[in-house]
Amino acid sequence: MALTVEKRLTPSKKWMVLSIFIALGASAIVSAILLKFTGADVGMAYAALFDGAFGDTRAIGKTLIKATPIILTGIAVTVAFRAKIWNIGAEGQLFAGALASYWAYLLLGPGAGVYILPLIFLAGFIGGGLYGGLAGFLRSRFRINEVLTTVMLNYVIIFFMSFMLVSGPWRDPSSHFAQTPRIDKSVWLPKIMDGSKLHIGFLIAVVCAIAVYVMLTRSSLGYEIRAVGHNPRASKFKGINVGKTAILAMCISGGLAGLAGVTEVFGVAYRLKGEISHGYGFTGIIVAVLAVLNPLAVIFVAVFFGAFAVGGVVMQVATGVPSVITSAIEAIILLFFLAAGTLTHFQIVWKDKT
Amino acid sequence: MQPYLKVENVTKHFHQIVANDNVSFDVMPSEIHCLLGENGAGKSTIAQCIYGFYHPEEGTIYVKGEPVSLTSPAAAIAVGIGMVHQHFVLVESMSVLENIVIGTEAATPILDFKSAEAKIRTICEFYDVDIDLHAKIWQLPVGKQQWVEILKALFLNVRLLIMDEPTAVLTPQESKRLFQIFHEMTSDGMSIILISHKMDEVMQSDRVTVLRRGKNVGTVTTADTSKSELTNMMVGREVELHVKRDAHEHGGELLKIKGLRAKNDFGTEKLSSIDITVHRGEIVGIAGVAGNGQGELFETLMGVRKATAGSVILDGEDITNSSPSNVQKQGMGYIPDDRFSAGLVGDFDVQSNLILGAHREAPFARGGFLNFSKIKEFAGKAIDEFEIKTPSETTISRTLSGGNAQKVIVAREFAQASKVLLANQPSRGLDVAVIEYMHERILEKRRAEFGVLMASEELEELLSLCDRVLVMFKGRIMGDFPTEGAEIETIGLLMAGQDVAPKQPEPV
Repeated sequence: MALTVEKRLTPSKKWMVLSIFIALGASAIVSAILLKFTGADVGMAYAALFDGAFGDTRAIGKTLIKATPIILTGIAVTVAFRAKIWNIGAEGQLFAGALASYWAYLLLGPGAGVYILPLIFLAGFIGGGLYGGLAGFLRSRFRINEVLTTVMLNYVIIFFMSFMLVSGPWRDPSSHFAQTPRIDKSVWLPKIMDGSKLHIGFLIAVVCAIAVYVMLTRSSLGYEIRAVGHNPRASKFKGINVGKTAILAMCISGGLAGLAGVTEVFGVAYRLKGEISHGYGFTGIIVAVLAVLNPLAVIFVAVFFGAFAVGGVVMQVATGVPSVITSAIEAIILLFFLAAGTLTHFQIVWKDKT
Repeated sequence: MQPYLKVENVTKHFHQIVANDNVSFDVMPSEIHCLLGENGAGKSTIAQCIYGFYHPEEGTIYVKGEPVSLTSPAAAIAVGIGMVHQHFVLVESMSVLENIVIGTEAATPILDFKSAEAKIRTICEFYDVDIDLHAKIWQLPVGKQQWVEILKALFLNVRLLIMDEPTAVLTPQESKRLFQIFHEMTSDGMSIILISHKMDEVMQSDRVTVLRRGKNVGTVTTADTSKSELTNMMVGREVELHVKRDAHEHGGELLKIKGLRAKNDFGTEKLSSIDITVHRGEIVGIAGVAGNGQGELFETLMGVRKATAGSVILDGEDITNSSPSNVQKQGMGYIPDDRFSAGLVGDFDVQSNLILGAHREAPFARGGFLNFSKIKEFAGKAIDEFEIKTPSETTISRTLSGGNAQKVIVAREFAQASKVLLANQPSRGLDVAVIEYMHERILEKRRAEFGVLMASEELEELLSLCDRVLVMFKGRIMGDFPTEGAEIETIGLLMAGQDVAPKQPEPV
């Protein structure tokens, strides 16, 4: 008898659910060993982690605030990846959206009030969308690899913003930091939960995720995006404009990432500065892949990542474990999830050796 | 006499599917033994078991009376078994010699090409084969490439050679030559296992083992049987090999191709001034070995490839270099040769593939959204009408067999096209029953005054189905024959690029 691994004919739904628990359990055990080495009380650490993320209204609010941009970048990456376009530039598109929305805010007049928020979001979507679409255009028109362009465009937009904030016209002259003046309170994203700072951006992100799900599964456009992703040759033969579809997918992808820039500028930082994103564009890639490119699953994975970011800080404070431990645990969970994912596609069987 | 190879009760499963169920047969020295069966009957699986590529769960394989454990192709080669795959396994950018020596014991850290070359030359002389050992593979025609594969096996001193559909890519002349060489090999004491669909080739073997749904139907001596008996064994019921083509007067010009030129993806001209006219209610066949421009011709007609010169007129409408979607709107449908590459989105379910191309049109889409109840209704009808064997309309297409995948494409194109149907090698790799069914469907379209333009390597198929046969070679039309009275030999020579004089007069 020997153990062999065989590919399943169809992915197993049962194992998809089971693998989540297996991954969680395994990462909890391995993380516990790691925590033990630092001398921390493992039970207390886990309690602090959970408490910090979901302990009270304020904690839940913090978790969901943190999840908001990750949902948006997660679905942004999902749309591009479904078309098999490897958009590594959600980070740059997020900043493009942030810049465009801040510019719109300046143009519309700081004191205009909450009514201009739809326009602000629209500006963010267009900014990110154009920036993503640029990479899509270069790919479709000149066959330039989108991995290279999106990565490089990340630097371009970040340095452009640095210019605007350090020596450029948008710098707050009264501050030592490279940042704009604070945004007028009337244009801050409205709060939606008593006792927490949770803003309406979270609801917008969830609505966007549902909309993307509907778009991908039920619309002709989503059908084309998936067809082009799975088989561009057959798509072309059947009259789908492959290049146009790719550009459109990148516009939508970039636009959604741009919205993440809006929620961070108008809902969290209240000003434009370099620290509005903690690598959310890159986290979005991990989230999209873990969610197997399902926009609804992105919501839950993003909340999980948000919880970890928020709870991790509390765990650090409560038990005194080094800050790198939280990053390490996050990485452990990620690896176990990716490994457990194979259980849905493969099965382990006992077999007679002949 | 002791058989060289004996296969006893071999069973092989893939998941729950039985690919081989208790298969037994033996191969004598100096024998050409044919494995015959429909697609999915398990011919290739048993061959791969003998070649050590798959490991059967049950059963024993004996070589010269000794049970052997064939755990890898290397183990099979060690006991004298070699295989030439349907799709060649050659390094295109390397020379013939390098391809033969690669992966063998002669490939010591410092390659000893000299003695290897001497050995290969002896083999070539023995079989009277003329091949430039220093030519690169990509410079060789497919017929010669196949020789490289065979030389690879002979170089390793195999005594039993498995040939998987060897003539699929060859002209009739090349096939004939190949069989001569098979007979030279067997007179030297070698054995050959021939996997084939083509009855003419099967009849040249010594014995035939027929497989059906993974099981042995029986082994018969070829001299004592007939094509129709073998067909009966293979499909388990009487099948008429030739579809009855009724007389049908064709109408006016429908598709007119004039002076069409196009290049392949590497910038080499693959179509050199093609003129073809297809009339209403007419089936025009293009004979020719695949790769002589047929694919490029259809791609250019469909608007997927750019025409560099010439014109395409469809029912009075100029569609030269029109977009694929416009070409299809004008009523042209296409059944491509590579089903899962150009025909289907393998990861889509069956119903999604059935509406591909019509996914923005009523009734399948409304206001930018797909109407799944209408799609499901249409898919259900298509599955019934075209007898597509699929668990449901939401089954992922990639899991379908070749024949059923082809039926999905046929169902879709028949529903979408309104004037002209193009088909490239529509029967490649399909079993008799599906081919026959498809032919009947094409004839139905002919009665409905469609114009049909199809390319095939199977001359018999073209001659039984088409009103007119053109021969294509290196991007040119070499001849144009009305089917009645066309000679296979002449067409075969034209397919090989030889000019036959006097040229046939141009019909209508």
